[in-house]
Amino acid sequence: MSGNFLDVGDFVVKAGEVVALLGGNGAGKTALLEGVLGFRPMARTVKLFGQDVSSLAVEQRVALGVGYVPEGRRVFAGLTVRENLAACSTASGAQRRHRVDEMLVLFPMLGERPDARAWLLSGGQQQMLALARALMNKPRLLLMDEPTLGLAPLVVADLLRRLPQMAAEGTAILLAEQRAALALGAASRGVVLSRGQIVRTGPAAELAADPALADLMAGG
Amino acid sequence: MRPLGAFWLAALLALPIFALAVLPPFGQRMVTLVGIYALMGLGYQLVFGQLGALNLAQGALFGVGAYAAALAAPTLGMLALPVAILGAALPAALAAGPVLRLQSHYFALATLALASIVNLVAVHAEGLTGGANGLSGFALALPRGPVLLVTVWFCVIAAVLIYAQLFCSRLGDEARLLREAPLVAATLGIDGGRWRLAAFVVGGALAGLAGAFSAAISGVVSPDVTGFSVMVLCLTFVVIGGSRHPMGAVIGALLAVCLPEILRDFQGAWLLVYAVATLAIVRWVPGGLAELIDRLRGVRSPVPHTPAVPERLLATSGAQRLVLDTVVKRFGGVDALAGVSFSVGRGEIVGLIGPNGSGKTTLLNVIGGLDRADGGAITLDDMHLEHLPPHAIARKGLGRTFQTLMLEGDTRSADLARAVSTGAAFLLLDEPAAGATDRERGQLVSLLHRLRDAGRGVVIVDHDIELLTRACDRLVCLDRGKVIAIGRPAEVRADPQVRASFLGLAEVAA
Amino acid sequence: MAYALVALGFVLALNAAGAVNFAHGDLVVLGGAVAVVVGQSTGLAAPLLLPLVALALGAAGIVAARVAILPLAARPPEATFVATIALAAIIEHGLTVTLGAAPRTAPALAGSGSFDIAGLALGRQPLAIVVAGSILVAGVWFLLERTQTGRRMRAVSSDRHMARAVGIPVGRYIMLSLALAGALAGIAGFLLGHQFLVAPTQGAGHMLKAYIAVALGGWGSVPGALLGALGIGFFETFVSAGFGDAWASAALYVGILVVLAVRPQGLFGEPVGRRA
Repeated sequence: MSGNFLDVGDFVVKAGEVVALLGGNGAGKTALLEGVLGFRPMARTVKLFGQDVSSLAVEQRVALGVGYVPEGRRVFAGLTVRENLAACSTASGAQRRHRVDEMLVLFPMLGERPDARAWLLSGGQQQMLALARALMNKPRLLLMDEPTLGLAPLVVADLLRRLPQMAAEGTAILLAEQRAALALGAASRGVVLSRGQIVRTGPAAELAADPALADLMAGG
Repeated sequence: MRPLGAFWLAALLALPIFALAVLPPFGQRMVTLVGIYALMGLGYQLVFGQLGALNLAQGALFGVGAYAAALAAPTLGMLALPVAILGAALPAALAAGPVLRLQSHYFALATLALASIVNLVAVHAEGLTGGANGLSGFALALPRGPVLLVTVWFCVIAAVLIYAQLFCSRLGDEARLLREAPLVAATLGIDGGRWRLAAFVVGGALAGLAGAFSAAISGVVSPDVTGFSVMVLCLTFVVIGGSRHPMGAVIGALLAVCLPEILRDFQGAWLLVYAVATLAIVRWVPGGLAELIDRLRGVRSPVPHTPAVPERLLATSGAQRLVLDTVVKRFGGVDALAGVSFSVGRGEIVGLIGPNGSGKTTLLNVIGGLDRADGGAITLDDMHLEHLPPHAIARKGLGRTFQTLMLEGDTRSADLARAVSTGAAFLLLDEPAAGATDRERGQLVSLLHRLRDAGRGVVIVDHDIELLTRACDRLVCLDRGKVIAIGRPAEVRADPQVRASFLGLAEVAA
Repeated sequence: MAYALVALGFVLALNAAGAVNFAHGDLVVLGGAVAVVVGQSTGLAAPLLLPLVALALGAAGIVAARVAILPLAARPPEATFVATIALAAIIEHGLTVTLGAAPRTAPALAGSGSFDIAGLALGRQPLAIVVAGSILVAGVWFLLERTQTGRRMRAVSSDRHMARAVGIPVGRYIMLSLALAGALAGIAGFLLGHQFLVAPTQGAGHMLKAYIAVALGGWGSVPGALLGALGIGFFETFVSAGFGDAWASAALYVGILVVLAVRPQGLFGEPVGRRA
């Protein structure tokens, strides 16, 4: 289905797009993502895949095909890598096991220690786990909140490289990031938030070259 | 909390007077019992109601008081009463130390274990306590009948009045802060440990006194008096009456004593009704019956005092300089702070900026004592702060606001006003402008200038560079735990390293 | 072994609801009472009573949750504390009023008397308890560790917010955990009810033991709770044999006080990395 996978009134995210959601801390990026998911009420009307989801609960919205990689990763600490992945799957039995195995191949860092408890993993491994977990049910829309925070440069590069690949397969990705240059490198478009309002949008290359961007980002 | 009004005072006096003047001995006995329970309940309100601690030892302390009185009465007569008070207060004080530090669910368990031990001793230490049969024959030395009624109610009335007076003022606000936002309380210099100890000991003393009176009224003391059922009764009637209201204990006790009489035809059913009532009250009338009665009378519960910024902003403490010297803080293998150094003097406003994860809030936590530094020194003049608990640091002259509001119904301006009102020489402000309108930001800037003119030192963390540029004398920029720039706002903003860190350019170059 | 079931139910409820259920001990007594009443009125064989008790108490667990725990989730912990204590009192006094305070005997699972094995007389009921208990613990272990349902229950206990964000219907799984906790409590009550009888006042004692077991084993840790319960069982038997029941209990209480003073996170408390 082409068309808007995510519509929050002020901006949309289409299939196959990577959109960078920029803004300093306190700008409202997390609030927006949580609003889209349904964790908090939003002034804007949220439409997922063309459908008004205002009356739907979080679990119901996610079931429509949304993957979420939250700030701070939030893996299920006591569960192993495999269990973290399996618990999120809506498939049953053999299909689920197959999908878990697929993920372990796609993310070699996880394939190395599939039976380790999640709390033992490094920051980078946890981030990969959080991403893999979000992808278990092949979501059409992926929401990511500051995934590069606290990660080594190599891991960051690995992570960001995957985004255009996923987009090419038709997934829509909304990437909330404070580090604008990083995000714009992986995105096709950018949206800048300040104090909950959109102050700038445009193609990624244009925004990246804008000298005023640093001030906008620091504006809070 | 309000001081006891005429209505409640009249009710409080009317009950014992009515009993003495009109009721037969049986009725007088019931009213005395109400007073006894009310005393135990008032003691419980201190720890459970005011501080919100899940205390399960009150019943046991009641029993200890009863046994102490029974043992002391034959030799000491009336002096058995103060002995009973001490007898309960002392174990409370001794046990308090290690127990009070515990988190709520562990605290409940510890008090439960203590109570169980007391019960075991009562049942099995036959030499001391008479075992399962208990003690008797001591009551002749203690007050009885109308004299006992007057004694008990004298104590109750005094206790209720003192309680109402104490908690309707600053003490009540402090208790509320300790209960709902212990971190805020610590930054205001409130010593939670001492508070809890005082409440536990005084609460225990009241329980002991009540126990002694109950020994006097029944003439027999048996292990039941230390059993869990006494504790459950105390807890439930305090909740039904109102766990914080000064008349809560009395009203709850009244119900606890009268209900079995009213329902005496339905053997044992009264306890069932009682328990259901407790559950209903917790769900739907959490303030208890006393508060319900107040509401029906049209008396509004007092709105907690909203702090406002005082007119005079001069500092009341003397420290002149706050110095950070190579402060280090590690979480797991990561350096949240990798050697941060800067200083702030009086009459200076320093802004702290940096991207998410750069360590700003960690730094504030470490300075204020909410977290321990792993290296480096933090000093106020020549006083080292690194090993002091938060409330002690607050008292030395450091105030703070928080990024997330911790009290229900609080606002950022209230949080700020509270910190300013402490008169602390130095203030640490964590994102005071978050979510503020332009007008509010302007007001914040003027307040900051006024604070500077009044000679206070301020460290302010925020993301609004414009605001910080207007308000601050200097900016410190952190990135991944290190200071990458210090200087006047314009200089720091133009610094290429700073601009790069905000955009994440350093990463791309790597 | 039966204590292990009680502790297991207690910790599952704790993890799912995020609060201590002070009525858990009384659910144990309720289980015993159901076994007594249904056994007497229908004359069903004991092994058939087991699933009945489990179902009834599973339902009771859900009711307890909806009445005293879930509605108070947003309030300070004192509210749940009081509500579950009140619920415990309701169950206790409700049983006293309907069945009387006198202790009753629950039907024995495998008949009374004993087996003669290699010269040792092993009581049939204690043996039945060990067998039944072990099967149940193994069953719960299997559920939690090897099934999707169990994995999801653990995910919900670990991070409720995140569980919703991956599409897990959190409410349903909390209810399931609480029903399981109730069922385990009820079965334990049934198993204990033959040797130790069923009396309404026993609730507080069961609850205290489970509470101690969980605190010893590390708050929220399922294997810890089991080990804690077994540890308590052995400790009590051991001390009892030498010094009598009273000293055994006293030693236990003093012991837990010492542990709390010295190592509040429990003997096997989970280290850094676990979500608080």
